[in-house]
Amino acid sequence: MQQFVTTALSGLTQGMIFAAFALALVLIWRSTRIVNFAQAPMAMITVYIALVIIDAGYSYWIGFAAALISGLLLGAVVERVAIRPVENKPHVNAVILTLGLFIVIHALAAVIFGSRYRSFPAPFGLSGFQVGDFTIALTGFGIFSILAVVVVMLLLVLLFRFTNVGLMMRASAFNQEVARLLGVRVSRMLTQGWALAALVGSLSGLLIAGGNLVHPSFMDSVVVFGFVAAVLGGLDSPIGAVVGGLILGISLSFVSGYIGSELVALAALLILMVVLLLRPGGLFSHTAERRV
Amino acid sequence: MLDIRDLTTTYGPVTAVDGVSFTAPQGKITAVLGANGAGKTSLLRTISGLIRPASGTTYLGELDLGSVAAEKMSSLGLSHVPEGRGVITELTVEENLRLGALGRADKSRPADLDRIYSLFPVLRERRHATAHVLSGGERQMLVIGRALMATPTVLLLDEPSLGLAPRIVAQIFDLLKTLVESDGLTIVLVEQNARSALSIADYGVVLNLGKLVVHEEAAVLAADEKLRHAYLGF
Repeated sequence: MQQFVTTALSGLTQGMIFAAFALALVLIWRSTRIVNFAQAPMAMITVYIALVIIDAGYSYWIGFAAALISGLLLGAVVERVAIRPVENKPHVNAVILTLGLFIVIHALAAVIFGSRYRSFPAPFGLSGFQVGDFTIALTGFGIFSILAVVVVMLLLVLLFRFTNVGLMMRASAFNQEVARLLGVRVSRMLTQGWALAALVGSLSGLLIAGGNLVHPSFMDSVVVFGFVAAVLGGLDSPIGAVVGGLILGISLSFVSGYIGSELVALAALLILMVVLLLRPGGLFSHTAERRV
Repeated sequence: MLDIRDLTTTYGPVTAVDGVSFTAPQGKITAVLGANGAGKTSLLRTISGLIRPASGTTYLGELDLGSVAAEKMSSLGLSHVPEGRGVITELTVEENLRLGALGRADKSRPADLDRIYSLFPVLRERRHATAHVLSGGERQMLVIGRALMATPTVLLLDEPSLGLAPRIVAQIFDLLKTLVESDGLTIVLVEQNARSALSIADYGVVLNLGKLVVHEEAAVLAADEKLRHAYLGF
């Protein structure tokens, strides 16, 4: 029983982080049909910015906020400078471009911040809570991670559902031409979409980094899981990304806890295959309706 | 009033619209007719700025639309309802309508959902439903309603009858006629369905291979058997 609860809780925490990363991919995919492979190194850069600020003696929270803000700016800059020129070209051009950015940002980070491992602080405890005689796997930082992702998701839901900007962003994502005819400045919406996505990506980076070691490749492994989570949810659906992240995080945690941690990557692939066989568009896809 | 002056649109070596000039007078319906590939849709897309013309321009009243971006048109009073309906099916009915009001021309007038709902009561019933549940006719009502939310003076409609039952087409065309009479709206109506279009239009323009071949009063055009046979297929 204790092992079950422990496994489920650590899966939940992990799943929330996958969800945040998947959400970053989905926000870009659904507005531009581009898989942003550079999401991980973009997030990594912002984590380093936080680390530099924290190491300079400022509080964790100032570093945290700086990382999120720099994520926002970095997303906007990448869209304007790198993606904009290839926006009307075949999508594969932009995808290759994000792969190129992946390499370039990595190299820059190694030059600027060095490629050694550096420890990143956490604002809350990293040991599990005591419940009776047991120590459960939920840590203070784990609770913070879950809450932070939930809060960001709620804010995104509020933005998309209840504001005019959100409505315009959704319209641009679903039908750029119609949105333009209705007076929406689609290119501005795309920039804002990239900025938001990079902010969410940056959050996932901060949560992975908390209490861990960071180096220029520390985000790379989450790319695979975040991408699987996004595809599970249907790539088009922010809610799907969250559900996909949670399903993946919890199932992988059980695979790792009960079967063997060496099988985690294989299990992720298996889950992806099963879902795609049963529902090729992902769990929350709108693909069928889109073709009407 | 929409004044189209010598408009030419090319796609690479292909000339889709070839030196077309005509005036769509204020408070009237001008039907643009012609076979498939005659350049009707390209003409509308050029007027609304989705395609840049190779030469020529369009005047909205005194205003030269030649260098105006497509996303600015609705705030100048020109609304374009594209072919294939253009409902954003992932949004709700009401979100589609709200979207129409964001770029509206007459900011002093409040975005008037109630007016649209009284024109199309079926949309009120389904206001919170996702637009993909709507039927073809309801979708056409939604895109017209959405265009009206922008308080346009000129409405460009691309094949509103496409794929709709004759009864629904009649209903929608009646409504267009009413709007022209009550609001003084100027409509440019691109149609494959020439007979229905001429029944409500004041003027008819016929395009053939991108060129304007006929510009007549609708009643004259409908009565001219030779023209009808040559270009309109009825």
